[in-house]
Amino acid sequence: MGLLEPLLKISPLTLAAVLVFSPALFGVVVFAVRTKWSRKGVVTVAGWVLTLAAITVFAIAFVSRTALSATLPAKAAPWSMIVAGGDLALLAAILVIAVRFRSAMVFGVALVQLAVVLYAELTGGHAAEAAPSVFIDWLSVVMVMIVSVIGSIIAVYGLPYMKEHERHLGIDEAGSHRPGFFLTMLVFLGAMNGLVISDDLRWVFFFWEVTTLCSFLLIRHDGTDLANTNALRALWMNTLGGVGFAVAIVLFGAHAHTYSVQALLRSPMGAAASLPILAALACLMFAAFTKSAQMPFHSWLLGAMVAPTPVSALLHSSTMVKAGVYLLMRFAPAFHGTQLSNVLAIAGGFTFVATAFLAIGQTNAKKILAYSTISNLGLIIACTGLNRPLALAAAVMLLIFHALSKGLLFMACGVVEHGIHSRDIEDMQGLVNRMPLTTLIMVIGILSMLLPPFGVLIAKLAAIEASVHLPLAMGMLVIGSTLTVAFWTKWTGRLLASEPGAVHPKIEHLHVMYFVPLVLLTVGAVAFSLAVFPLLTELVEPAVTQYYALVPGAAGGVDLSTDVLAVPWLLVFGVMATAVLAPVLVARTRPDEEVGAYMCGEQIETPNGSGFITVAEQSCSLSIRGHYFERYVGEDRHTLWMSLVAASLIAGMFGSVAVR
Amino acid sequence: MMAEYLTALAAVLAAPFLGGILMGLDRVVSARLQSRQGPPLVQPFYDILKLFAKRRMAANTFQMISVSVYLASMVLSLALLVMGQDLLVLLFILALGNIMLILGGFSVKSPYSQLGSQREVIVLLAYEPLLVCMVVGTYILTGSFSAASVFGLERPLALSMPAFVITQTLVMAMKLHKSPFDVSASHHAHQELVRGIYTEFSGPQMAVIELAHLYELVLLLGFIVLFWHTNLVVGIVLALACHAAVIVLDNVSARMTTRWMFGFTWSVGLALAAANLAALYATGPLPR
Repeated sequence: MGLLEPLLKISPLTLAAVLVFSPALFGVVVFAVRTKWSRKGVVTVAGWVLTLAAITVFAIAFVSRTALSATLPAKAAPWSMIVAGGDLALLAAILVIAVRFRSAMVFGVALVQLAVVLYAELTGGHAAEAAPSVFIDWLSVVMVMIVSVIGSIIAVYGLPYMKEHERHLGIDEAGSHRPGFFLTMLVFLGAMNGLVISDDLRWVFFFWEVTTLCSFLLIRHDGTDLANTNALRALWMNTLGGVGFAVAIVLFGAHAHTYSVQALLRSPMGAAASLPILAALACLMFAAFTKSAQMPFHSWLLGAMVAPTPVSALLHSSTMVKAGVYLLMRFAPAFHGTQLSNVLAIAGGFTFVATAFLAIGQTNAKKILAYSTISNLGLIIACTGLNRPLALAAAVMLLIFHALSKGLLFMACGVVEHGIHSRDIEDMQGLVNRMPLTTLIMVIGILSMLLPPFGVLIAKLAAIEASVHLPLAMGMLVIGSTLTVAFWTKWTGRLLASEPGAVHPKIEHLHVMYFVPLVLLTVGAVAFSLAVFPLLTELVEPAVTQYYALVPGAAGGVDLSTDVLAVPWLLVFGVMATAVLAPVLVARTRPDEEVGAYMCGEQIETPNGSGFITVAEQSCSLSIRGHYFERYVGEDRHTLWMSLVAASLIAGMFGSVAVR
Repeated sequence: MMAEYLTALAAVLAAPFLGGILMGLDRVVSARLQSRQGPPLVQPFYDILKLFAKRRMAANTFQMISVSVYLASMVLSLALLVMGQDLLVLLFILALGNIMLILGGFSVKSPYSQLGSQREVIVLLAYEPLLVCMVVGTYILTGSFSAASVFGLERPLALSMPAFVITQTLVMAMKLHKSPFDVSASHHAHQELVRGIYTEFSGPQMAVIELAHLYELVLLLGFIVLFWHTNLVVGIVLALACHAAVIVLDNVSARMTTRWMFGFTWSVGLALAAANLAALYATGPLPR
């Protein structure tokens, strides 16, 4: 540990500055110096700087074993003015966007938020100066790692992707939109870091709104009508969430007289909280539901798939939607033991089931991934609502494993899209013959979302175990997990399936900047799953312990020992690895042993490939397609009522505050 | 700890013999029900040995991986059950094997196999919640998901969870591809799917699958024995009775559609499970 000693001397504020501002600075350089090589170089360097900073934060937390905190001197600058100015500037930008795109919805919602923010400014004068203060506990460390490392990998992947994207659209280097694109992406990463390490709620809100604006810019990047429509929808929904956040700030300021998250968590909370405080928590939940695209606000994330794939990868895996669940996990001790917490678990569980159900009927790969993201976020929210140590541990693990696997899957989808010019999984049929390498990566990504011994599943088991005390939530988790299996298995099946006829798989060429990020995340997903138990004891348990130290009456040791962990996993890993490797290493098929398909019946060659002679000597050609059960699980049939149920559950959260 | 592993090893070694005899019995009984002489009792062993001796042919390497993982998951599940481990983990390891077999069925070019795989996904979807609900029921009674804690109960599960004896029997019929649930494959190639998901597996690969089926049968019966753990004789009789019920059901019913099967298990099956769980929540202890 002596080697790491100097690390402890690094001020948390310095680290915070690097995490928040360095991406933005690099972004400005990318924007200003418009050459191909500078862009490649600077984005890659920015990724490295962020990654190293995140690893440093991790190392410090690991060595010091306590949460890091620091505050800038209150008198150093008119902080409250600065943060208020930032909020107003963001709102002004949103209003300008509303006027420019003639969106009454965005304009109206932004005006309401403006009113709340101004009210907060005018009435909150008695509160302390909003000096930037940093608080980094294990939950923040996990988030910083996810944002900085996975976010950087996605940014690097974006370099070749956006080049190909613009070539496809016929945009030349001179008219390239890439400088702005990478600027927004890097600012986004910095803002996410700011969001998860700030202790003052006013700063959290500021960064929260920055991510809203950045996501709007990224979603409308291609500038098509559809992109504009969907980006505006994302904007109004997230601005509406921002209204909830702002109301929460007003309520906290008026009734708890502090904006520091840590101070808030230490004030009377849970069953002892007053009605306005609980209402403020419900408002935060509302904000988190919009950000994390929970039903009925899920449509913005579905619409966001019009954006180039690196944007989707970023929004779904390491940023944006993770901000919502982070906020809930951060405040979980505050609503521990309340009825509100139970309703939250049910609301999250409902989205988990509903969107897994809708995913079954989809053929669009990005849409399936989007539904899966929404579903997993619902699961994380359900865990937060269950509010027990094991549930929180499951939530933290899901945060990590979902980010890895979903980032990987989106990036692989992007590569496939450029390879076959489609994102329809029907067109991916037999992809294993056309792009074997990408298919392998994709299959590993998919399996890592649903099979043991991968981490997502272990977290899911822990979640089910933690939900037994809330039968309704448990029922949702059980059904949702089953439905999840269905859509992933169907998709993998399409990748592997092909029609009869000779094909010779040929390994495709992948750009090095595609290959390296994909391999990094694949290795990450597998390695973290293998190391799930060290991960649990070294990372997740400390996070949950720090969380539980804040719960009155629950202080003391946190016991995460469950039957899930008592399973001889080493034996399971060993047997499974042998089963996978044995046929590859020992019993690999020789070409002469590989045979075609048994077709049964009289066969003919038709112009469309293989076929049969059928009744009355008619010829019929053969084609193989997937089942999607649209008649039963179609979006058109179910989205409306599901959204209504989800909306009434949100109303139920506020109701549970009122009737307490 | 060591004893646990040895017991598991013994179970893993003995299971194929037990499973083979039961499978042979199934075929003899079915034959008699159909007024046929039927094969000798040990026919399943002959079948497997014969298949192992056949020349190896494969559609691709993935197919071979899927088969070996399928077997591994069945063996592991049985070992975990005997060792008294977490039942929820066991269920997902079991599902892993099934999913790999489904993917193996997808990976070949035969339309019959692929159709079988598509339907097998629905079969999986149909029985999985019933299995998980059963395990949840044991949690309500014991406060733990481990099979070992069920061994420690004083009252047999069958008395507190009678509905789950029925659902487990249904699950057994579905997992063994028995009528009316043999939508994705059946034991005989006399349907429009040929042999469904198994169509493209041959020789040693098919032998491995048959071996895995023996483990699966023992595992499913083991679950039912768990329902009367206080007296193993009663438990085994109960398990054999359920097995007999499945065989009779197979012989008296015709294959239904996938849609019917899904609707049936998610309505009748889940209603039974939910009613029993509700009763357990109302009366049962929920420690911790």
